[in-house]
Formats: sequence, C-alpha cells, structure tokens
Amino acid sequence: MSGPIINWIDKRFPLTSFVKHELTDYPTPRNLSYWWNFGFLAGIVLVMQVATGIFLAMHYKADASLAFDSIQHIMREVNYGWLLRYMHAVGASAFFFVIFVHMARTLYYGSFRAPRELLWWTGQGLLLMLMATAFMGYLLPWGQMSFWGATVITNLFKVTPFIGDDIVIWLRGDYSVGDDTLTRFFSLHYLFPFLIIGAVIVHLVALHTVKSSNPSGIDLKAKDNIPFHPYFTAKDLYGLGIFLIVYSVFVFFMPNSLIEPANNVPANPMVTPNHIVPEWYFLPFYAILRSVPNMFGGVVAMALAVMMFAFMPFLDRSRIPGGARYRPIYRIQFYLFLLDMLVLGYVGYKPPTNPSIVVVGQVATFCYFASFFVVPFVSKMEESWLIKRGLPQGIMELMEREKRDLEERKQEHRRRKGDTV
Amino acid sequence: MSTLLKVMLLGLLSMSAYAEEAKLEKIEVATDKPALARGAEDWMNNCHSCHTMKYVKYRDLLNLGIDKAKVDGWRGEASLDTPVIAQMSEADDMATFARVPPDLSLMAQARDGGPNYMYSYLIGYYLKPDGTAGNHVFPETKMPDPLGISSASDAAQRSEIKKTAGSITSFLTWAADPHAGERTKLGNYVMVYLVLLSGLLYLVKKQIWSRLK
Ligand code: HEC
Repeated sequence: MSGPIINWIDKRFPLTSFVKHELTDYPTPRNLSYWWNFGFLAGIVLVMQVATGIFLAMHYKADASLAFDSIQHIMREVNYGWLLRYMHAVGASAFFFVIFVHMARTLYYGSFRAPRELLWWTGQGLLLMLMATAFMGYLLPWGQMSFWGATVITNLFKVTPFIGDDIVIWLRGDYSVGDDTLTRFFSLHYLFPFLIIGAVIVHLVALHTVKSSNPSGIDLKAKDNIPFHPYFTAKDLYGLGIFLIVYSVFVFFMPNSLIEPANNVPANPMVTPNHIVPEWYFLPFYAILRSVPNMFGGVVAMALAVMMFAFMPFLDRSRIPGGARYRPIYRIQFYLFLLDMLVLGYVGYKPPTNPSIVVVGQVATFCYFASFFVVPFVSKMEESWLIKRGLPQGIMELMEREKRDLEERKQEHRRRKGDTV
Repeated sequence: MSTLLKVMLLGLLSMSAYAEEAKLEKIEVATDKPALARGAEDWMNNCHSCHTMKYVKYRDLLNLGIDKAKVDGWRGEASLDTPVIAQMSEADDMATFARVPPDLSLMAQARDGGPNYMYSYLIGYYLKPDGTAGNHVFPETKMPDPLGISSASDAAQRSEIKKTAGSITSFLTWAADPHAGERTKLGNYVMVYLVLLSGLLYLVKKQIWSRLK
C-alpha cells in the first residue's frame, strides 16, 4: 500500500503492517478444506445478529404487558420488520449450526491439540456465552415457551447448595419469572453480543499466534503456506454465498419451522404447556438433564456435558497428528459420538412419558460421557497399534521431532531450575 | 467427512417422521386475495360473534378487497384502525363457556399442525349417541360446532361446510402471517440473486487459486 494518505496514517498507526501481518502475508495452509470455512461464517452470523438485533430493539418493548404485542407490531407494521425478525430468529439457529460444525471439525482433525489449547478453550467460552445469549433472547417474545423455558431453566439453579433459592430469585428478579426477569434478560441479551465480540478478538489473536491447523495435521513447511488474502478471502466468500442460500431458504420459505407453535400464544403463568421443549440446539443437553433421575445430578451432568469438550486436550493422549485422518479408531469414535448426539437430541424432543424413551436417554447419556472418558485409553492403545502397523514417513518424522523438542524443553527447564538453586 | 452429512441427514429425516402423530386432515390453504376476502367474510359471519382478532384491523379487511359498505356495516361506529373485537362480552363468555374464546389472529400458527389442525378441528364435529356434538380433534372443547357440520347429513351440504371451513382456515393462515406472500415473492428474487452471486464467487475463487502452481 502506498499513497500520501496511507503514508500519513502509517506514521501514526500501523495500518499497512497490520494488514500485511494479518491478511496479505498471513500464512495459511494451502490444503484447508471447506470445513475450515465455518469460523469465518460464525463471524458473519455474529455481525448479522448484532445488526438485525439493534434494529429489532428499536421497535421491541421489554415489558411483560407489551412484549408480545410489540413482536406482532414488528411483524405487521414495521417496514420489513418481518424480515428483521425472521433473520434474527433463523440467525440464532444458524449460529449454533455453524458453531457445531466448527466444533465438529476441530474434534475430527484434532485441531484442539497442542499448541492450540487456548484457542480451543476460548472457543469453549464463546460457546457458553452464545448459549446464554440465545437462552435470554428466547424469553423476549414472551410466548408460552419463552416463559416456561425460562422458568424451568432458572429453576435449575435451586440445586446450588445453601443459597439455591436466593440465586433463583436473584436471577429472576422476582419469586417467579415476570416483568423483572424480562427487563434484565433484555438488558443482558443486548450486552452479551459485545462481550462475545471481545472474546472473538481474543480467539483470533490466539489463532494468529498458533496459526491454522490443517487436514494433514502436519505442520506445513513454508512452501505449502499461502497468504490468507486473496486465497482464503476468495474461498470464504464463496462459502458465504452457499451459506446464505441455505439461510435464505429458511428465512424466506420456512421461517416458522424453527418457531414452536406454543410460542405464538402469549405467556400465561397459570397455564403450563403440556410439553416444554427447548430450541433444537439445546435438545441433547436437555436430554442429559432429564436422564438423571435426581435434579442435582441432572444439573451437574448437563453442565459437565457442555464443558466436556474443554478436557479434550488432556484426554487425547495420542501423539499422532491429523486427528481422525490418520487414526481409524478415533474416526469411529467421532462418528459414534455424533450419532449419540442425534439420539440425545431426539430424546430431548420427545416428552419423557414413554418409558423406553427414558431408557434410551439414559443409555445415550452414559455413552456421551463414556465417549469422552475412554479417549485417554483408546488413544494410547491406538497410537501403539498404529506405530506397530507403520505410519507414513512424514508423520513418523514429525512425531520424533516433537518428541525431541519436548525432551529439549524439559532439559532446558531442569537447567534453569538448577541455576536458581 | 461426507459420512457425517449422511448421518446427520438420516437423523433429521427420522426426527421429522416422528414429529407429527395426530392424524389431521391436510389442507392446501389459498393465498390469493379473492379467496382471502371470501374467507374473511365467512369468518365475520361465523366466528366474529365469539372470537377476537386483535392484530387484524378493519382497514386490513378493506385492503383484502372487501366492499367498503360491508366493512362499514361490521365496524359500526369504530374507526377503520380498531382491531376486530368479538361481539360477545367476556363476562357473557365466562357465563356461557366458563372461558374466553381465544384470540384467533395467530391461531393458525399456535397449534401443532397449524392450518391442518384448524381445518380438522372445524370439520371434526360429529353427533354423539346422546344427541350432543363431540369433536375428534379436540374432544373436550367448549366451543359449540360453529359451522353445523355435526348435524349436516346431506353430502352436498357437508362439502359446502368443508369449503367454508377451508376458506376460513386460509383467511386465518393469512392473518397469522400477513406478509407471507410478500416474503416468498421477495425470497424468489433473493434466491436467484444469491445463486448467481455464488456462481460468480466460485469463478473468482477458481481464478485466484489458479495462480498457484
Ligand atoms: C359460540 C361461540 C363461538 C363461535 C361462534 C366460534 N367459537 Fe371458536 N371457540 C369458542 C370457545 C368457547 C373456544 C374455547 C374452546 C376450549 O378451549 O374448550 C373456542 C376455541 C376455538 C379455537 C381454539 C381451539 C384450541 O385448540 O384451543 C379455534 C381454532 C376456534 N375456536 C376457531 C373458531 C372458528 C374458525 C370459528 C368460526 C367458524 C369459531 N371458532 C366460532 C367459541 C366460539
């Protein structure tokens, strides 16, 4: 970049060097597949949610007696209000879809392993914030499912030892979900996306420190890295086009397929819907909550279920890079886990009145945790089996190099410790 | 990772297969203005006595192409911008049905099955052996058979009632989401645009990547 204006700025702000460092010179593995598009897509969905959300907030009324009507005002009278609302509602589902694929890709290719642990953990934090934001946003239309969903979930905090009841009241701002709950959820629903943006920046700084992993799992030598811009900007934009096509099918042709019919009935504390279901993206975790017969156990299991992903860098003890690509058993584990998620989602969707559904849910819950807990043992056994069977040359070399590096670092550490003594 | 997609699709399919259980009559709702205007009239004649539609205003009915004189007759003194409120008072409702008939503006989207539920409910009345009317879809309903299908035995009369139920259902489906027509129309343009755009972006991507050896 050149020109007098850019020059003027560059003397005062590292614009050119920033663009160079983060885009035009930023090395990206050439072999990234389309599964690597989803981080970019998540960023775009975040921007769309903030943009539509800000305009919705101009017409929405966070007041228990006005909220439901104000949504209908947006749907009927505000110019293109229906478009804003459907984009935002479908956008929430799109966000989770994109994030789930992004996480699945990370798990499949083992991208959470050293040195990307912090990248993975900031992602875990983002998932939690996304869940909180979606949960609070779902109360705002003030329909039956909004009200009862918030009632059921805030009620879970009762299990906190000693101060459970107080925490529930503190969260709701009242003894039951009501106007005070609505106003605080609205306020926080507006705040959280900005916290998410901050966390995304941390996530990106971590990414640009360790750089992208890649489907081969091997650290590519410089010649296989290409600059992010223009190669991956072009690839990401094409992916965005495809994403927007799918997104628009939902927004324009089936926006109500993701809205529970019961949420078109205004909230009524006197009438419990006969079947309270959360949004689809919470269903697997909801199924785990219900599968534990004891409420305290259920809440702990659900919280743990969401947090399990964070343990993966510790659980996966195989030194073979590339995740499922070079690890047939890990690959099977991955697909079984996905299958288990789908079963849990189905169980979460069904009312728990059918005893066989309950049993299926309990088995699937067991399998969910088991699939994490077996990872350390299976990964170690798989590693020695694969080494005995023979690995591609490049991978063996990489593993030996990593081992040497680790040894060296340990010795270095010991030497330094010896100095201070 | 294509196996992943297949597994997911399979899961989704099995989920939708289980989603609906009650057997409801299927209905193809009409979306053209004349049909909606007819439905609105049928609704006014058969349902307005008990039910409110608080998100529908008299002006909306006018915009559907209903005669000004007719709308004026319905609204009486009320302005065009007042919502369509039930004729019966809530006190009378409580005395008669022990409940207030629900608002119907969103009803076509407020029950599992949507318009199919609505239609099946309206034509689901039948005569029980004791001479009172029952309903297949909502057995314990307090609403008296509004279209009189339970006492109609003549085939022509029954099909006439079903037609009325269908046109009312179409009107209520419109009322629940009045911009649906505009939405799908805009959606078609958006789809064409996005498909063309994605095609171009694909070519751009290919062109740029072809610089790599
Ligand atoms: C005589 C008064 C009366 C008339 C006329 C009437 N309804 Fe109702 N309607 C009721 C009452 C009362 C209920 C509440 C039923 C209940 O909850 O048991 C009701 C409930 C309903 C429901 C909700 C059912 C549910 O699942 O909760 C629908 C839909 C409905 N009416 C549609 C109509 C339509 C369409 C018409 C015109 C063809 C109509 N009603 C005419 C009194 C009436």
